[in-house]
Amino acid sequence: MIDGLTGALLHIFTPMPFLYVLIGTVAGIVVGAIPGLSGAMLIALTLPLTFYMEPVNAIVLLIGMYVGSITGGLITATLLRMPGTPSNVVTTFDGHPMAMAGRPGRALGLGIAASFMGGLVSWVVLLFLAKPLSIWATRFGPFEYFTLILMAMVLIASVSQGSMVKGLVAGFLGMLVSMPGVDPSAGQPRLTWDWYVLNGGLKLLPVLIGIFAVSQVIGDIVTIGKRMERVETRVSGMLMTVKDWRDQMWNMLRSSAIGTAVGILPGIGASIGSIMAYTTARNMSRRPEEYGKGSEEGIVASEAANNATIGGALIPLIAMGIPGSVIDAILIGALMIHSITPGPTLFITNSDVVWAMIAAALVANVVMYVVMMGSVRVVARIMYVPRTFMLPVILVFCVIGTFALDNTMFDVWVMLAFGVLGFAMEKGGFPLGPFVIGFVLAPLMEEKLRSGLMMTAGSIEPIFTRPLPLIFLLISILLLLLPAFRAWRVARSARRRLDARADGASS
Amino acid sequence: MVLNFTRSVALATAVLAGLSTAAHAEWPEKPIKVIVPFKAGGTSDQVVRAFQAAIQENDLLPQPLTVVNVGGHFSIGARQVMEAQPDGYTFLSLHIALMGGEGGGIFDFGYRDFEPVATTGEFCVLPVVRKDSGIDSVDELLQKAKDEPDTLLFGANLGAINHMGGILLQNLVDGAKFRFVQIGGGTANFTALTGNQTNASVLSAAEVANFTRNPDGTEIADTQIKPLAYTGAERVEGLPDVPTMQELGYDMTYCVQSWWFAPKGTPQEAIDGVADALQKATQTDRVKKFYDDKMFGPVFLRGEEMAASLDDTWARIEPVAKQAAQK
Repeated sequence: MIDGLTGALLHIFTPMPFLYVLIGTVAGIVVGAIPGLSGAMLIALTLPLTFYMEPVNAIVLLIGMYVGSITGGLITATLLRMPGTPSNVVTTFDGHPMAMAGRPGRALGLGIAASFMGGLVSWVVLLFLAKPLSIWATRFGPFEYFTLILMAMVLIASVSQGSMVKGLVAGFLGMLVSMPGVDPSAGQPRLTWDWYVLNGGLKLLPVLIGIFAVSQVIGDIVTIGKRMERVETRVSGMLMTVKDWRDQMWNMLRSSAIGTAVGILPGIGASIGSIMAYTTARNMSRRPEEYGKGSEEGIVASEAANNATIGGALIPLIAMGIPGSVIDAILIGALMIHSITPGPTLFITNSDVVWAMIAAALVANVVMYVVMMGSVRVVARIMYVPRTFMLPVILVFCVIGTFALDNTMFDVWVMLAFGVLGFAMEKGGFPLGPFVIGFVLAPLMEEKLRSGLMMTAGSIEPIFTRPLPLIFLLISILLLLLPAFRAWRVARSARRRLDARADGASS
Repeated sequence: MVLNFTRSVALATAVLAGLSTAAHAEWPEKPIKVIVPFKAGGTSDQVVRAFQAAIQENDLLPQPLTVVNVGGHFSIGARQVMEAQPDGYTFLSLHIALMGGEGGGIFDFGYRDFEPVATTGEFCVLPVVRKDSGIDSVDELLQKAKDEPDTLLFGANLGAINHMGGILLQNLVDGAKFRFVQIGGGTANFTALTGNQTNASVLSAAEVANFTRNPDGTEIADTQIKPLAYTGAERVEGLPDVPTMQELGYDMTYCVQSWWFAPKGTPQEAIDGVADALQKATQTDRVKKFYDDKMFGPVFLRGEEMAASLDDTWARIEPVAKQAAQK
């Protein structure tokens, strides 16, 4: 193992492979940071270019893009409240308020450090535990997935800010718009009104870009004539101090572990990892009231977790040939073009490629940290660019990115329509986070539940008889009751104080 | 308003394009678009990209092929091609899913609504079970499906290739019935079998070889699955010890071919031009190596031969697709 790794690391530090990691990571960061363009798209578009490259160079380039794109998304999520990728949605909850409060440098610095840490933790797990963990992941049956997603779903209630009812309405609306398309469990179209373009359903990226980026653009256009009051912006506090590291270390490790575990499970992506880490951090926090208003812990939890899913998702890919994420599926395609088939024998047939992938994941993570930290000062100035210049550019990228995803104009109309919807929801006080979470999770949850019911001929018994589903179910119930319990305790202590005062007055 | 404007621009461009093709009859004068109605990275995409690279490397066409992936449901990309200008610059690459979808009533068009261009290569499948299942042959598998109908969990992507493969299998013995469970494609089914969540599925030859065989052809020690038979007409090179269904006395072949189509009304010279290039590409090292790696059979058909083969496949698959759509 040591030989393989050091060999691959030495190879990556020769000029050409290192150049490819650098190009890949920087390109990933830039594309990830542009709302509308996603890492999956960048990698898919780069695929043909890798035909004529050495397999190892091709793969380190693509891994660099993967790592860069997930991290790059945090820039716009923080500064503009437009998540660059689906996995950065949760980062907007606290990153944006902190940036608006005049501390964009601090917000970015925390996010970058957390991303680095998340990447590192999952990398260590990838290095040492790839085989046993990927075998463990195959045992995850439909009911395990169903209850796991149910747990994430219940978190909608706790991440929603403001009115609980409006949060739930937004969540259910998100679930509803995820329903049209060819039913994943029966292969038949539903809710498509015989309109064939709906056979593919409303896709994640157009909806996400519409609801977050386009709605923000519309909102900014509406207020563009008005003089914005500008907050004092400081880029200081970017580097974390020893005290910061000490304060955040436990949160970082826990969030990274959650992200890695979610990443290993095939088919559920980085967004679930960050939601789960965020809410866990909030429930264990001593200052839960700061969440959603610019909590440092919130940024750290979300970014550590979404970067940790990268290493996690590479585990089943390398150990079993099972892609852990959409991007991994494209990586498999890239390997196949070079006649390399990922699978249980990859270590035997192409150990140089495996070690190059593992080494590239580490090097790209370090490159990402250096590049991001070096450019934060410049990047944070996005806050100063007049909106009149920025909005058209963003909108153009949104249209290009959405079209390029699947080469259909329909997706662009969907994006614009959801931009209007997102704007209207904001105006009406309906939070966007629960909407997106409902939209992402409902189809997965439905598919897993129905697979499970097909297996058992309609019985839900395994939920109660298997250990993992039962644990997930109990945690879900607990999460549902926790806010109510907290409210009850607050009310009780208030009443006691009142009673005590009343007692004092009467005596 | 905006929509109207875009439409009229599109119309004007289309008319101009039509005029210009009429004026210069030299085909091809611009890059040729091949629509793959799936996301980048899957088998269908890899096939087209292998041919694209082979054609480009060997200058088999004066203009390059450009691959356009249209994701979402595959019917969307297929319909785009069906409704495209038949100017000789738009082609489609698809497989038996087209017939599965039409037969299952998911959409109301089919292979007859396209011009057949060429069939390039095919892969066949293998029924697989868990090693510790106590099932050692297709006979035993089907006997068990008959003795305990609707209990063996057969992982599939409902309505898709592996589902139809499972139905063809159970139809071989009267009364045999699997319980089909939505799992997904080959990799997902390998995962589900390994995790002991399902009992059977069908995988392609390349998947079986990848998941169960070492590079030297010996079996991987800790693999959990085993293939029972091969649905091709002859044994597949990489898995020489696996018998064919026909050897076992079952009248079943089930192979998935890569079909290239053009919109109805595409000029014959364009159809022939692309078919020629594809035919020559099958002789290049790149495509040969690709076929070897993916364990594809090197079938190549065009013109009347291809049309006849499509009709034949439709006659076999339509009832199966109907059966797959009933739940």
